[in-house]
Amino acid sequence: MKFLLIGVLRAYRALISPLYGQVCRYHPSCSAYALEAVTEHGAARGVWLSVRRLARCHPWAAGGYDPVPPHRHRPSRTASAAPTPTQGA
Amino acid sequence: MLDFFGSIGSFIMTPLYFAISFVLTSFHTLFGGIFGPASGVAWVLSIIGLTLVIRAALIPLFVKQIKSSRNMQLIQPKVKELQKKYGHDRERLAQETMKLYKDTGTNPFASCLPIILQMPIFLSLFRLIDQAVKNPDKPKGVMTETLNNQFRDAHFLGAKISDTFVNTDDNGVRLLAAILVIAMTATTFLTQRQLMSKNMPADALSGPYAQQQKMLLYVLPVVFAVGGIAFPVGVLFYWTTSNLWTMGQQFYVIRNNPAPGTPAFKAKEERDKAKAARKGLPEPTTGEAESSAVATEVEERPAPRVQPKRQTKAQRQAKKKPGS
Repeated sequence: MKFLLIGVLRAYRALISPLYGQVCRYHPSCSAYALEAVTEHGAARGVWLSVRRLARCHPWAAGGYDPVPPHRHRPSRTASAAPTPTQGA
Repeated sequence: MLDFFGSIGSFIMTPLYFAISFVLTSFHTLFGGIFGPASGVAWVLSIIGLTLVIRAALIPLFVKQIKSSRNMQLIQPKVKELQKKYGHDRERLAQETMKLYKDTGTNPFASCLPIILQMPIFLSLFRLIDQAVKNPDKPKGVMTETLNNQFRDAHFLGAKISDTFVNTDDNGVRLLAAILVIAMTATTFLTQRQLMSKNMPADALSGPYAQQQKMLLYVLPVVFAVGGIAFPVGVLFYWTTSNLWTMGQQFYVIRNNPAPGTPAFKAKEERDKAKAARKGLPEPTTGEAESSAVATEVEERPAPRVQPKRQTKAQRQAKKKPGS
């Protein structure tokens, strides 16, 4: 399933995306985001993240830098920006 | 698994079949009255009418996009600064530029919404034609069996509009499909070239980004050719009309809202000056002068100092050793 989605996304990015030029108000663009999200988080969560990103990408949104979030369960290598419960003041 | 996707698909597509077939048959009632309900002209004009309705419905999105890109001129100096700073690192440059767009509430891009909206519409038109050919006795949306049969058998310039390039032996269909593919390629090519040659600063036209853009111009005809032989002629009319609309829209934007520091921007200034001279008004303050005034203001303003926050000793130590 995951690899099927990756294939579809790659095909879209190679063939259909060029027809429109850059339209996305975010970096990475929605399709790049979807590709990374599915690769990193698997089919289910990847699709969920991508759908939410597409819903965010409308002309009333400010856009901006919006990377794929890191894994929730696997602790990230760098210190997390969000305070953990023990650090809460 | 497949059933699940099937039901999501029909959940989305069923209302679309009704909406699309309603617009299509409304136009068909109009044009059918003039050219005869079984005529190809009536059906082709109905498809073109459908395209125009859809693109007109998307105008509010377009207007919003124009408004949100209006201040591009004011932030141009900042964009240049970023280019100087991160020019060697494309990824970082893209991140920082997007951050700037966000912080200033100015974004030149259209967003993905118009594309996401148009894809299912395109698909449902394709399915309407496809099903009119395969199952005319099971009409979709507000189509009827009579309409399906007319739609299936309609000929335009001697070519059956429900035929595709690959499943026909009729050279008329092939010729019409080929002409439409050429028209689509030409319109998209012109749209892109207009964007590149008139609405991009000269320094953006070199480097890897420009290289990518040039590759694109070779990919386009291939994509349209593949689509053009697989889709029925009727769908190709939709596609071509939509591309024409996009081209017109693009010309409008470049003429009235050109990006600063580009040939189109200079052309607009000249026109504005000429207009002012004709009307005997004092020369307007040009955009260049305005933006350079902003630029000096931006440069002179020192970076705001970040005030240190008051913290307890425990907080400071917790910060030094995260996770401990």
